[in-house]
Amino acid sequence: MKIPFSLFLVGRLLSVRFQSRYDRMRLLRSALLISLVMIPLVLALIFMDGMMDGITEKYITLQDGHIQIEFPERLDERIHFSDSSILSADYVVSGFGIVYSREATAEVRIKGIGEDYFNERRSSQLSFQGSALQKEGAVASVMLSTTVASQLGVQIGDRVAFMIVPDSSSAVVRPVLANVKALYDSGYHELDSSLVFMDIESALRYFPKEKNARTEILVHEGALSDLASVVTQIESFNGSGTLSYATWDEFNGTVYRNFVTSRQVILLVFLMILLVAGVYVASIAQELIQDSIQSIALYKTMGATTISLFLAFFTAVMTVTLLGMTVGVGIGLGIGSQLAVVLSWLAKTGLPGLQYYLLDFPVVISWRPILTICATMLVICSVTVQFSLHRIRKISPLELLQQD
Amino acid sequence: MTDTLLQFRTVTKRFISGDSSLIILEGIDFGLEEGSSVAITGKSGCGKSTFLNIAGALDRPSEGSVLFKGKDLGGMGDRELSRFRNRHVGFVFQSHILLEDFSALENVCVPAMIRGAMRKEVTARATELLDRVGLAQRLHHKPGKLSGGERQRVAICRALMNSPDLIIADEPTGSLDEDSSDAIENLLFDLVKEEGRTLLMVTHDMELASRCSTVYLLHNRSLQGIS
Repeated sequence: MKIPFSLFLVGRLLSVRFQSRYDRMRLLRSALLISLVMIPLVLALIFMDGMMDGITEKYITLQDGHIQIEFPERLDERIHFSDSSILSADYVVSGFGIVYSREATAEVRIKGIGEDYFNERRSSQLSFQGSALQKEGAVASVMLSTTVASQLGVQIGDRVAFMIVPDSSSAVVRPVLANVKALYDSGYHELDSSLVFMDIESALRYFPKEKNARTEILVHEGALSDLASVVTQIESFNGSGTLSYATWDEFNGTVYRNFVTSRQVILLVFLMILLVAGVYVASIAQELIQDSIQSIALYKTMGATTISLFLAFFTAVMTVTLLGMTVGVGIGLGIGSQLAVVLSWLAKTGLPGLQYYLLDFPVVISWRPILTICATMLVICSVTVQFSLHRIRKISPLELLQQD
Repeated sequence: MTDTLLQFRTVTKRFISGDSSLIILEGIDFGLEEGSSVAITGKSGCGKSTFLNIAGALDRPSEGSVLFKGKDLGGMGDRELSRFRNRHVGFVFQSHILLEDFSALENVCVPAMIRGAMRKEVTARATELLDRVGLAQRLHHKPGKLSGGERQRVAICRALMNSPDLIIADEPTGSLDEDSSDAIENLLFDLVKEEGRTLLMVTHDMELASRCSTVYLLHNRSLQGIS
């Protein structure tokens, strides 16, 4: 069997069996440090993607839907769900107001919803206490978040007053009395602190449907990439021409752009971390070359070409990098899968900053960015390592004799 | 009739440092016949090692040309020179430089592995060579566990591994005690003769030099024949 010299040398450079304790420790240290770079990157990626997906899902399911069709009449009853990409359609009204208790006030977004609004998908996004929203006499029923209830100092069964902020068509500011029928907790403080649900009958009295009524559409996963065709489908059900609509990212433009910007900034930070890691890997290569000057000179004396030595050292360093990366990604994924548990536990210990994050977010392992990070790391390292390995070219066989 | 294996044509070697230039070898003409053994002697610093480096294609002359079997080494690129050293030259250094992490057997195998020979064939040849120098029981010992004489024997085996045309030895016994020196001398000459190789050696030791068929003195940057 013929074994190429480069491959033989790679085996010798990496084989723990043939190495001194110092060399073994150097290999281990190098792989470990690369792992330690990869672990936080993978964790940050899982945190970022999980958090963004989780928050987006909360906003979509509880506040806006995937599509909001601006149409004053009930469209939901005209939509056929079988064989369509539409998961649910709900007639809602919404507006803004200030809610008062005896002790405090809060500015909120009031959303009028029907009894069957909380389908399985929405219910999975929050926890309830209390009973369903139904109008009782002249008094509206509302469901506050535990965040708002705590801010106002109210519980289920208490009454609160709303001051509805008028739009241009309604000149009169009207106080509204409401029963707190239920409390919810979505797990996301930002959303909870502003969203209040009201029974739709009452809401329609305070928010004119011409301006405030919409049909909120949730679609199946497969239809997300082409929401326009879903609207076309709805237009065909409705049969009254073009409908005016907005999608989630348009409706929550600021939130969406913040997510995109955050992601870009984080990826930029990742890139800088990877560059630093690349420099570190280059220093490993440099150390390896420095310790092998005599051997390299000897190999050259015996006829080894620069390219075969370059290839062997390059492969050895990149193998250590790859090994460190694999271990790092593995550990990162392991810890990342338990990240929500860890964060919830930390929040319970009283870390104040965590209340502004979504703590029960789903763990999202996006392979593409992880593989992109790994590929970027490999590309950066393969470039930086070459600067160090360039030294091989300069080592002359005569250096062997100079050390003689 | 013997063929010229190696030929120096008015070879000059100068080292330039800043504005000053130091001429080590000047206008040397030299021919080495196949199967012969030649010793170069001279005072320390006279350029013996530089001469050997140029002969072994480890260094290039500043002027003149070096021909190996009629082919000008000056026209070869680094890759070709590497290949040339691997196939045609075996080196034995004063300090019996070995790869410390490799066993005696592996040290001997390296030139053949660089050549790309079959592993089985390489191991058999290396084992045979080490057996001939009395190291059959030390195949898997690392250089650190070997004596100076044993290390030099491994270095000689390594030099012979690819059956090169030319063995270049730079003070091969320079770092050994008298007993070991005698043993290594005998071994080197015997093996070179048995394998039918050409030997070019640099040494201070006139007794060792006298065992070669031709002896030159390197003096005042040029070669003078002694015997």
